[in-house]
Amino acid sequence: MSPGSSRRWALAGLLTPATLLLAGCFLVPLGIMATYSVLSPGLYGGVEWEFYPYNYGRVLGAPLGDVEEFDPVYAGILLRSLRLAAVTVVVCLCLCYPAAFWVSRLPGARKNLVLFLVTLPFFANLIIRVYAWMLVLRPTGVLTRAFDAVGLGAHAPDLMFTEGAVVIGLAYVLLPFMFLPLYASIEKLDPALLQASSDLGASPLQGFLRVTLPLTAPGILGGSVLVFIPAFGNFVVPAMMGGAKVMLVGNTIEQQFLAARNWPFGAALAMLVLGIILIAMLAYAWRFGRVDGAVRP
Amino acid sequence: MNGPPASRWLGAWGVGFLALLYVPIALIFAYSFNSNVVNMMAWEGFTLDWYRSILGLPTQLAKSDNYVQSTATLLAAVRNSVVVATFATLVSTAIGTATALAIARHRFRLRRLYQGLLVLPMVMPDIVLGIALLIFFVSLGLDLGLHTIIAGHCVFLSSYVFVVVSTRLAGMATDLEEASSDLGASPWVTFRRVTLPQIAPGIAGGALLAFIISMDDLVITYFIAGVDSATLPLFIYGILRRGIKPEINALAMLLLTFSFLVAATGLWLRSRRQ
Repeated sequence: MSPGSSRRWALAGLLTPATLLLAGCFLVPLGIMATYSVLSPGLYGGVEWEFYPYNYGRVLGAPLGDVEEFDPVYAGILLRSLRLAAVTVVVCLCLCYPAAFWVSRLPGARKNLVLFLVTLPFFANLIIRVYAWMLVLRPTGVLTRAFDAVGLGAHAPDLMFTEGAVVIGLAYVLLPFMFLPLYASIEKLDPALLQASSDLGASPLQGFLRVTLPLTAPGILGGSVLVFIPAFGNFVVPAMMGGAKVMLVGNTIEQQFLAARNWPFGAALAMLVLGIILIAMLAYAWRFGRVDGAVRP
Repeated sequence: MNGPPASRWLGAWGVGFLALLYVPIALIFAYSFNSNVVNMMAWEGFTLDWYRSILGLPTQLAKSDNYVQSTATLLAAVRNSVVVATFATLVSTAIGTATALAIARHRFRLRRLYQGLLVLPMVMPDIVLGIALLIFFVSLGLDLGLHTIIAGHCVFLSSYVFVVVSTRLAGMATDLEEASSDLGASPWVTFRRVTLPQIAPGIAGGALLAFIISMDDLVITYFIAGVDSATLPLFIYGILRRGIKPEINALAMLLLTFSFLVAATGLWLRSRRQ
């Protein structure tokens, strides 16, 4: 056997398991889901094998058949999910940007320790991290008790089962996804550039807007995408902290599968989520490529 | 641009940021020792009973009418989680490592496609993968159970192992491998004696990460678990949806301690010799 052909066999051997796994348990399931999304829901759950694009019509307004109607509730849920995901991104960004700056300026050993501490909660069970905030925000929770303790019991905010609670939960769970990319780009920042801008007469604000912000843009965008995607499709946090009052698209999909048993409609919603996320990722790739290209001399 | 006041302000923000991360967890820790059976938010006294009840030790709790023993279901959930995480980690570590080697050490036409495909299960929302797998298993006529959970976990865990091992391979010089093959070693011997020892910390780190993520996964498992195959996160989610019970605090602390220990080992492995 020639060395070339033995290398080819090695490559085939290395790739076969992943190919089987990805084809069998990823691409085929996604394909079946896409197919389901254009089938007609059966009377008692399940599907009828007829082409039925009207599942999308219920959300988007078109196409509409004889039976399905445009229901603004679903479009509203989709918009609310997008809005809360965007708010979560902004909250994470505002919290993490100064913190990442702080960490990047710590001396070596302390920096490693703090980085370790910031990364650690990422490994903690998601449901436990959400639960921690339920302890704080629930009507008899820590927040109410703190207000009581200082004699302001009547003014304690009732945040549980509001959009605010959902954003707090999402932001807490997703903070590391924003922090790490931000930190990576802030760490690379050359202080000499800021010094130069200040020597040339730029105010600190100008220095920040014209030097720091553009140079850390890849981190901001990267972190935003990493936070936006799981926030948008999340269903655990809204189920636990939003209750029935703050339905997001993730809860709606879950409901279609486990309660309403309209699988084609649930699949169509999931396809819409996937489509929106692919658009976000493509926009990111386009933007990131440009920013990256512009920064490098 | 930053004088001392600005750095003091930054420092305060940083400390506040760390507090924000850890105070909620510290609250669970504190409440896990509260002996109040009826209202867990009101502090009554110190007890280890919640921990003792999880570990199956005798407690004072049985005397209270409000306490319902659920240790058996809990232990079954722990067992399910460990079985799933062990099998899924073994399979996905092998697949993720093999694929990382193929991508890093071979040039072939579909390389970019494989790279993209491998990252996709990781970045797409859990719920989409969860329901895609649910529809898939149901249309195959499979009964949902531990085997479907393991198969589902392998899909996204392989991606994580792939990324971790790829990072390790990317930071590794190829000259030793070339020397070994120039001296007449077969690809297998080169892999076994040169490549593997160098990427071993990466593989171990990837496997630990996979294990934690598998133990932690709620959403995908939620859709593809059968009636008797509830994992630990599903068990906890079920309890929380029915109303908060005090033993959750102790259970959460045990689980957090476990995750943090595994994570600390993983981070330590990754930082070693890099």
